[in-house]
Amino acid sequence: MKFLNKIATAAAVGSLALGATIAQADSKEPIVIPTHNWTSQITMAYVIGGIFESIGNNVSYVPADSQAVYESIRNGDVTISHEVWQSTFSKSFNNALDAGGIIDVGTHASVTQEEWWYPAYVGELCPGLPSWEALNDCADIFATAGSGGKGRYLDGPMDWHGQETLDRIEALDMDFTAKFAGSSGALWAELESAAKDNRAVVVFNWSPNFTDAGDGGSFVEFPEYTDGCKKADGGDGKCGSPPAGWLKKAAHYQMPKKWPEAYKIFNNVSFTKGDIGNMAALVDIDGMSHEAAAAKWLEDNEATWKAWL
Amino acid sequence: MQYFIKHKWAQFAVLLAVFYVLATVIDPATGGNWWRIQETRFWLLPDVVNNALRFLIDDFWVVDVYDSELDITEESTVVKEFTRTVSGVVLFSINLIRELLLGGVKTVVAFTSWEFISEHKWARIPALPWPAVAAGAFIVGHCLGGRNLSVLAGASTIYIAVFGQWTPAMQTLSFVLVAVPISCFLGLMLGAIAYKSKAFETILAPLLNVAQSMPHFAYLIPVVIFFGIGDHAGAISTVIFATPPMIRLTLLGLKKVPPEVLEAGTMSGCNSRQLMFRVLIPSARHDILIGVNQVIMQCLAMAVIASFIGAKGLGYELLVSLNMLKIGQALELGVSIVLIAVVLDRLSLAWANKQADYLADLPFHLRHKHSLAFLGILIFTSVIAYVASMVFPDKVNYLYFIDEAQGFSTEKFWDVMVDWLITNTYQGVQGFNFFMITSVLMPMKEAFLSMPVAATLFLVAGTGYIVGGLRSAVIVTAFIAFIALTPWWDRALITAYMATFAVVVSVIIGCSMGILCSRSPRATRVILLVCDTFQTFPSFVYLIPVIMLFGVSDLSVLIAVIVYATIPATRYTVEGLTNVPQALQDAGSMSGVNRLQRLLKIELPLAFPHIMLGINQTVIFALFMIIIGAFIGTDDLGQLIMQSLSEANGMGQGIILGLCVAFIGLAVDHLIHTWAEQRKQVLGIA
Amino acid sequence: MSTSTQPVIKCESVYKIFGENAARIIEQSGGKVETAALLEAGCVIGVNNASFEVHEGELLVVMGLSGSGKSTLLRCISRLIETTAGNIHIDGDDLLAMNDKELIDIRRNKMGMVFQNFALLPHKTVLENIALPLQVKGMSTSDSMDRALDMVNLVELAGRENYFPRQLSGGQQQRVGIARSLAVEPDIWFLDEPFSALDPLIRREMQDEFLRIQSALKKTILFVTHDFDEAIRLADRIAIMKDGVIEQIDTPANIILSPATEYVARFTREVPRERVLSCQTIMGKYDDSQDMSDLTVSQEAIIESVAKPILTQQKPVGVTDSEGEIVGVLNSKIMANVLFGDANSLPVNN
Repeated sequence: MKFLNKIATAAAVGSLALGATIAQADSKEPIVIPTHNWTSQITMAYVIGGIFESIGNNVSYVPADSQAVYESIRNGDVTISHEVWQSTFSKSFNNALDAGGIIDVGTHASVTQEEWWYPAYVGELCPGLPSWEALNDCADIFATAGSGGKGRYLDGPMDWHGQETLDRIEALDMDFTAKFAGSSGALWAELESAAKDNRAVVVFNWSPNFTDAGDGGSFVEFPEYTDGCKKADGGDGKCGSPPAGWLKKAAHYQMPKKWPEAYKIFNNVSFTKGDIGNMAALVDIDGMSHEAAAAKWLEDNEATWKAWL
Repeated sequence: MQYFIKHKWAQFAVLLAVFYVLATVIDPATGGNWWRIQETRFWLLPDVVNNALRFLIDDFWVVDVYDSELDITEESTVVKEFTRTVSGVVLFSINLIRELLLGGVKTVVAFTSWEFISEHKWARIPALPWPAVAAGAFIVGHCLGGRNLSVLAGASTIYIAVFGQWTPAMQTLSFVLVAVPISCFLGLMLGAIAYKSKAFETILAPLLNVAQSMPHFAYLIPVVIFFGIGDHAGAISTVIFATPPMIRLTLLGLKKVPPEVLEAGTMSGCNSRQLMFRVLIPSARHDILIGVNQVIMQCLAMAVIASFIGAKGLGYELLVSLNMLKIGQALELGVSIVLIAVVLDRLSLAWANKQADYLADLPFHLRHKHSLAFLGILIFTSVIAYVASMVFPDKVNYLYFIDEAQGFSTEKFWDVMVDWLITNTYQGVQGFNFFMITSVLMPMKEAFLSMPVAATLFLVAGTGYIVGGLRSAVIVTAFIAFIALTPWWDRALITAYMATFAVVVSVIIGCSMGILCSRSPRATRVILLVCDTFQTFPSFVYLIPVIMLFGVSDLSVLIAVIVYATIPATRYTVEGLTNVPQALQDAGSMSGVNRLQRLLKIELPLAFPHIMLGINQTVIFALFMIIIGAFIGTDDLGQLIMQSLSEANGMGQGIILGLCVAFIGLAVDHLIHTWAEQRKQVLGIA
Repeated sequence: MSTSTQPVIKCESVYKIFGENAARIIEQSGGKVETAALLEAGCVIGVNNASFEVHEGELLVVMGLSGSGKSTLLRCISRLIETTAGNIHIDGDDLLAMNDKELIDIRRNKMGMVFQNFALLPHKTVLENIALPLQVKGMSTSDSMDRALDMVNLVELAGRENYFPRQLSGGQQQRVGIARSLAVEPDIWFLDEPFSALDPLIRREMQDEFLRIQSALKKTILFVTHDFDEAIRLADRIAIMKDGVIEQIDTPANIILSPATEYVARFTREVPRERVLSCQTIMGKYDDSQDMSDLTVSQEAIIESVAKPILTQQKPVGVTDSEGEIVGVLNSKIMANVLFGDANSLPVNN
């Protein structure tokens, strides 16, 4: 079955080349776009949906769990995924690729960074930041009730990158413990609460994200990432995350055949860090609804997306 | 020796002593299988389950399916085609109701095609203006239950519209209006079959137990793979969760029908179908209606979780707003969910109790006055809305549809409240936070983690034996041994530690509150209403404020769990105490006891079996919420269940982990039920 | 088709044995029922070799204390439970051989039953409860409601059509039960302790009501009770049961005057005979030679009502039949015996 799926995938990719010459019309069946639970992703869903609609396609949106969505793409219940983050979703995405039925549609222009992060005011509480050694020196101000006197680093959910954080703390012999939050909501709640009385926190964060706007904050600087430096890859583990992770797009393997036009556009779609930040800001800062924000972005950036058609 | 056999507490004391000795003697380093069961083939179980399900959906009974759109023939399986057909039917029903309320094209597409719709833009169902729906709710309420109900239904609809939650609320409503009837129908049918066939009942009972105590997240992935993603998947997972109580209550009600009534039906010449539908089921209506109430509550309680697999509506909006820390907005959305639950519950109850008037001989316009009134309002509101959009073409048409951004909102107020609360109490609670974590929770967790497998199984078996003899001992040991054989014994111990703490605190709070409130009928009514509200109010809403106060820690999780798990403890205490037979109370009063003595000597002992069932529910509620607590951040079974969403063998792993959680609950459930039954027999109130 | 001579209900050696092995044990003994063997095997005997007939228009009361098997017998004859052995014929048709369809048919058209605890459907109004047997037959709503309204009038509940059972008193509820059982105009009417759950005063009133209805409808009735007074008050014939066995089956007068067993006698001893017996049951032989009093009494008259005038007469008093012919005599000696003496010394005429 797996084998068959791979053949089918290959055939689909092959027919893409043909599709360009035959110029077959898109199916009128709706292209199903998933919405997860963070702003930029939802707004971008409506932006991409709007682009598809502008060429006469039908679109429908479906709320989906961000990990389970790849399984649904394989089954054809969802057509695309437009924000596949390297560190958080690569496991689910790769599992789905192995199982077949899903295709990799390239990357966005925006690179991603995922690393330990602190809000701007923490810089004053712990001079010497963003260096990791400085962070380690003032570990005590990051201590919490459960951290047993050490500094507490609030990581994302365990399934995002699992053992890696623990490996790094051990390899660098840091005076920190890692606590895994259960959801991104938990991360933001902790950040918000800490900001209210200028408490020192260091949490997992990524960019582009809504935290890029406003007062912002900075990523902690760890020893530079080199290929194979991570423990899981056989290295000593004394390094940070890759400074430029990928942000991919994925689609159901039949998309090139069923919606050749839309697929061509989706292939071209490539948002920059600025685009993503703007989309998020329209909702998070200006208080617009996701649909309205998407409409505004499409209106303001016509030149950008018209070029992809 | 005689003394020892007679007194169970003495047996317990000895059991605990032996357990303690065993726990100290078995050393982690040298204990081997006595300490933790080492890796066995059993660890492959998740993979086996996963592969079996995969085989079922991907490779079992392969058929060719022609895709006319792409003009290719693809492989599919019978199971997949079957589940997708079910999905299609459910999805069509949801879309039909949704588009009648909100407008849309999918219903039309079901009879034509997407090409047709794309070429004929007019072919769509227009949305109803919200005042028409509100008037409809008002009229339905009036028709079924008179003035109070009409005001409740109408006002709730207006609240939803005015607060700009129209679209998500109607999405949720359409999904609930499909899930509730399916659950009720299935529950009724399966309950009726179980009533007729003892064999079927025997098979069904353990399945119901597992379905009711399995965390929802454990079966989300299987549902996605078998049924796809979308509103139908949400509805189907809701049905899985909401049907078991309906089955149980149907069966209970049918069994309570007096044999004479059955005979009266038979002698009236009913055939077996008439006997079931005209005599038995209506006679069991009291319990069946409680079942319907449970179904409605469960369906709305699932609104948030169903959004993980594609259900649109209030639940999804709530998750998004929580993720953006918009607590006020989440609160308003939560209120809408509760309102929909309450209105549906009351309407269904009124509908079931409605009486037909055979004697009235009314003219057409009076007989159909409600339908006519609705038609009139529909035309009137549509005309108004249309005219308004003509006159003010550029303005927002408040008489037709109120968008999220245009509605009222109290969210600023709530945000300020939460803000104020956190700013002002944060420092105050930190002492408590520190004390709880370092002096209570961490030592407790350590203690639980130091429980060797052998000692724990001994304790469990012994408890089972003391409570219910050999049979109970075997059952509960089997449940716990299953967990011990998986790689997740430590995780299960952490779940057990959190559950134990939460249950103890919930029971203390719940029972005290229940005892206090049962003293006055007025307070009883109020507390039961509060219980109902909190049970449907999405528990996700409390997660974020709790994190802000107590950080990402076990304490946060436990506080959220306790808020939720106190509900059944309170409810059952109130019910148990208010149902103590009056004759016994009078007998007590006549023997000259004072109020406190009456409570301690008469009411509490008599209500105790019922309260124990409440504690049983508390355990189940606590386990559910601990799993949801994984969204805050835990390191127990719940975290692994979340993690299984991204694993390659996630389906199997999720199910086995879910079973581990379910088995903890079922072991406790078995012990408490056995004990409560014995106790009721002794007290003669079975 | 039934003829006037054919019994409406005919039971022959009916047995009902409870117990898991009952059927097997009977089969092993070649269809013969050996009670000793069954009791040994732990079976409980509900009905033990009951044989009797009920004729058209007759009211047979089955009387017995609780556990005597009277309700079991009734349920065998209505086939609510399956009979272990024996034959039951209804209008000459073999009841036990009927399949489900025939059984439903006979219940829909020929049988009605009233229950001890009324067995009304709690969610249906008076009218709906009464209409149930009609509606399950497939009668239209409006026809069934018309018919049900007639029944409401028959049992004198007019004005309470839309009440729910919980809003009615016990007596009223049983009136609904009676109306329901009569709605399909059955030929055979089963009543299972219909008045036992009622207060004594109401019970009396309901018995009168019952007699009134029966005098108008003339149904064939099997009436089960544990109340001996009720039995002699209502019955054409009484069957007295003990431990599943019918001890005696006879008219009330004969049972009172000549109880077949010591067990039956225990009930009759307490009965005030003068209130129960009619003149014809105790009258002496009449011959022309006697010097008769001018006073005559009807043979149907209850003794109590004529005792005083007869006691004051010196000469024997004539007892007349419905045509006014003298068919027997009563004198003060017989009366004194009835009122104060013991039953065994009485003449028995029938």
